[in-house]
Amino acid sequence: MYELASVAVNYGAAAAVSDVNLRIGAGELVVVVGPNGAGKSTLINAMAGLHAVASGRLVIDGEDITREPPHRFCDRGIAIVPEGRRLFVNLTVRENLELGSYRAGARMMRIESLRRVCALFPVLAERMDTPAGALSGGQQQMVAIGRALMARPRFLLLDEPSLGLSPMITEDVFRAIREINNEGVAVMLVEQNVAVALELARRAYVLDEGCIAAEGEPRQLMSQPQIQRAYLGT
Amino acid sequence: MRIALAVIAAALIGLPYLGLPAFYESFGYLLLSAIVLATSWNVLSGYSGYFSFGHGAFFGVGVYTTAALAGKLGWNFLWTLPLAALAATVLGVALGAIVFRVRSLRGELFALLTLAITFVLATIALNAVDGGPGIMVTVDMPKIAPTASGVIYLMMLAAAALTLWTAYAMYHSRFGTGLFAIHDDEDVAEVMGVPTYRFKLAAFAISCALAGLAGGIHAIFVSYVTVAETFSIALAVNVVLMSALGGTRHWLGPAVGAIAITVLLYAFTSGNAAVVGRALTGLILIVVIVAMPEGILGQILKRFRDRAPARAQVARPFGNVNNVNTSGEPLLVVRGVAKAFKGVQALASVDLEVRRGEILGLVGPNGSGKSTLINVVSGHHVADAGSILFEGEELVGRPAHRIARAGIARTYQIPRPFPQLTVLQNVALPPMFGQVVMDRARAEEEAWRWLAFTGLDAKAHRFPADLNLHERKFLELARALASRPKLLFLDEVLSGLTPAEMDDALRLIRAIRDQGATIVFVEHVMRAVMELTDRVAVLTYGKAIAEGVPAEVMRHPEVVSAYLGAAHV
Amino acid sequence: MPSATLLGQSVLSGIFIGSLYGLLGLGLSLSWGMLRQVNLAHFALAFLGGYLTFQLSGRLDPFVTLAVVAPLFFLAGMGLHWFLTRFSVSLLNTLLVTFGLTSIIEAGIQWYWTADFHRMENAYAAVRWKVGPLFVSLPDLLTLGFALVLSLGAWAVLRFTDLGKAIRATTEDAPIAAAFGVNEKLLGYLVSGLAAAVAAVAGLCLALNHTLAPVQIYAWMGVVFAAVMMGGLGRPIGPLVAGIVIGVSEALTMAVTNPTWAPLVSFSLLIALLLFRPARF
Repeated sequence: MYELASVAVNYGAAAAVSDVNLRIGAGELVVVVGPNGAGKSTLINAMAGLHAVASGRLVIDGEDITREPPHRFCDRGIAIVPEGRRLFVNLTVRENLELGSYRAGARMMRIESLRRVCALFPVLAERMDTPAGALSGGQQQMVAIGRALMARPRFLLLDEPSLGLSPMITEDVFRAIREINNEGVAVMLVEQNVAVALELARRAYVLDEGCIAAEGEPRQLMSQPQIQRAYLGT
Repeated sequence: MRIALAVIAAALIGLPYLGLPAFYESFGYLLLSAIVLATSWNVLSGYSGYFSFGHGAFFGVGVYTTAALAGKLGWNFLWTLPLAALAATVLGVALGAIVFRVRSLRGELFALLTLAITFVLATIALNAVDGGPGIMVTVDMPKIAPTASGVIYLMMLAAAALTLWTAYAMYHSRFGTGLFAIHDDEDVAEVMGVPTYRFKLAAFAISCALAGLAGGIHAIFVSYVTVAETFSIALAVNVVLMSALGGTRHWLGPAVGAIAITVLLYAFTSGNAAVVGRALTGLILIVVIVAMPEGILGQILKRFRDRAPARAQVARPFGNVNNVNTSGEPLLVVRGVAKAFKGVQALASVDLEVRRGEILGLVGPNGSGKSTLINVVSGHHVADAGSILFEGEELVGRPAHRIARAGIARTYQIPRPFPQLTVLQNVALPPMFGQVVMDRARAEEEAWRWLAFTGLDAKAHRFPADLNLHERKFLELARALASRPKLLFLDEVLSGLTPAEMDDALRLIRAIRDQGATIVFVEHVMRAVMELTDRVAVLTYGKAIAEGVPAEVMRHPEVVSAYLGAAHV
Repeated sequence: MPSATLLGQSVLSGIFIGSLYGLLGLGLSLSWGMLRQVNLAHFALAFLGGYLTFQLSGRLDPFVTLAVVAPLFFLAGMGLHWFLTRFSVSLLNTLLVTFGLTSIIEAGIQWYWTADFHRMENAYAAVRWKVGPLFVSLPDLLTLGFALVLSLGAWAVLRFTDLGKAIRATTEDAPIAAAFGVNEKLLGYLVSGLAAAVAAVAGLCLALNHTLAPVQIYAWMGVVFAAVMMGGLGRPIGPLVAGIVIGVSEALTMAVTNPTWAPLVSFSLLIALLLFRPARF
């Protein structure tokens, strides 16, 4: 289980996230939704070690990893698919994937992991030696997810995977995420596309202005009027 | 102050007439020459941030022009001086015209190119002009001082006065402000109306001209010119060192550094001491870059600035604005605009109309293209397809600074103030380069007005780093307003604000519209959008799917599903 | 019009001098492209290596000296990297700081070895072969050999090994690379150490082939930077190819016209590239 206890994260001088308590159980699929500027990206980046935590604790399977250096987080079984994909654009698809399995624990299983990724995203198999920057948005998203999978994570963190993608590709991406979760990888998804997020998860958190505003069953949450107003203003 | 200056000036001019040993005139000449070279270097490199490592080259051009014309061809040396300056200028402009065009070629490449040019010129001088042994330059001096070296000293004194005056004038002019803006953030400067290419080229030309002039005088001073001595790399390094030591942000900084270094180097003149001197120079350079990034003068001034109280000026309040035009005619018409970045179609085909005098809300999910649209309209990016008509004129393809001139302004989602300009200078910049070009004094007056309007007048002399997020957003706002735009794009100006600060901001925005500006308001905070806007347009996946009155648009089924998902329609 | 033999010899010598440009440019290009540090002191370091080789040439074979000097320089490179990162020196300022360092090293060299020209006496220089009508000396071949081995080796490491891919990834997006386990600090030290060690090798080749003088340090800067810029930052084979192109062009220019026009060649090529292919930069 990956647990956050009273976590606060700053963005510059301001508090982006304050006093967040959440948890992802092994094999769970959890969604974090919330209007823009709520702090979702800052939160997930902190969970991946990309952003320093101001106070509070990040705990994995009982061990406190809050102060670990960034390059150690993946050894703990955490992998991230960052917002905007952030692929290594001048490296080929294959090299991006191989880098995903850079950590010692994943390197040995590289060949098998590659096979699994190609099975999940067949369109990548034909483009292994293409520079990642030359792919379309949807394909890049697949590479980003594949790269994270190559690290053989126990907790997969995805930050707005549907950003900039057409509805059809978004469906493909979310289908893949469901498959990954079915194989036992815990998933935490930060999403703005509430519709699809609702269909995936059994448990959701609503983040608003840096705090957890609500937690529970997605459909229930979204029909609450104050949540609706936060999104639509009506 | 004035008296002190007059005394110094008198002492400097009178030096040759005091009957002192020739050493004083020579040393004085070296000091002045260093001042000219360091200050002229700084006028381009310190002000704009484009570090030149080739100042020695332009100096050398001046030396060789005079040497060749006066020494070999026997011209009157006074005529050769302007030609020396001209030759250096022509070379600089030619190089700059090529190099500055390349958009991505920033700092370090410019530095290395200018370094290379020193060697190239040395070659040309050696082959075409010098032929090997050097050129002898003997001239007839006008008898305005007791000795020949006295005359040369006076010439360099005149050059130094000219150079310092130029640096001073540039520093206080809109030209200088533009250069400092380029130094801090060239892209934003361009969008605010600064003609960056022209300014860089002009600064380069001035810098080279002054170096060439100094070179011409130097040819007469040394009277025997060789390639090795003229095009040495030491000069290039020393001017950088002098300016960095004294402070590159101030017009007088390089002079301070020049005096310090010349005196220091003088202490090590011969044999082994010269070697130690060079090592010491290197060490000082390292220490200065690392420990004193602002230079000696810069540190001193910083201390004063921190202590000085904010000199608040009473701003004249706005009179009744009679030209509020809410006719509803179209001001900006966007048709079929598309823009793609590496694999992502940010804007698919946007059709949008902004009417004069309205506040139009622009909303949509993250990644729907709102910021991209602003970037395309303001000229930051060029549209792949489509047309953008502003008051009937096509904007697509126009350089950003001309779009700013036409009367369009924008704020940035993450504030991008010029970090090394004060709050006042930040806000004073757009009026200097906007629709009505104002000189610095009037622009600052205008800036005070907008600072009062946004409540920032108490912090006018602070730097953006000292402001909190709320204040920085208001700074963005004040800066965008200062050019009195006809059309203002506000990009998520409310994000990160507390509810109280948000109400402040909304009040301000309404006041801005009442002044006569048309506003496009990109925002996520729905409450604000509903309260503030006259009409709303919704973007998803790079297309505008709805445009109309807020209450209606936000209930539109397509819009609801875009935000909340189909289940809630 | 010079004879075919003369032209042929020119091309050959152009290749050899070009390979030395490439060797000097390799370390520079790697630290500039990968670490965003422009290390002007690279040249001074190479010359220092050359002088040390020269100094010890009476007692030690130059290659043995290299075995001692290269690891020392590796440490020096790491030290420089530490300094530049500790003080968060910006890219432009690394130019200035390393220029200061150059002055210090150059002054040190002049202090100990004086400003006179020195030529290292060594058995290798005497070894020459005749290939058809053309002459090739051992030091020339050694330089070319080193340049090829190191450039191709660096290319191979970057292209095929995990370490190389990690370095390339860190250059593009260090935080994300870290998220996948890449220790970017360690890699930074490795790259800068290796770049300095390559400078030691370049120094050996300098000592074998050329006369050493402190003033020469600056003479190579312009043309090597041109080779690095033309070859593309961070591309190991780039400086070598560009260096050879420049070297051959210079040599041919020298053969056909006045030798002192040679420095113009590299600069003209660079300007031409800027004019017609600005996208490279």
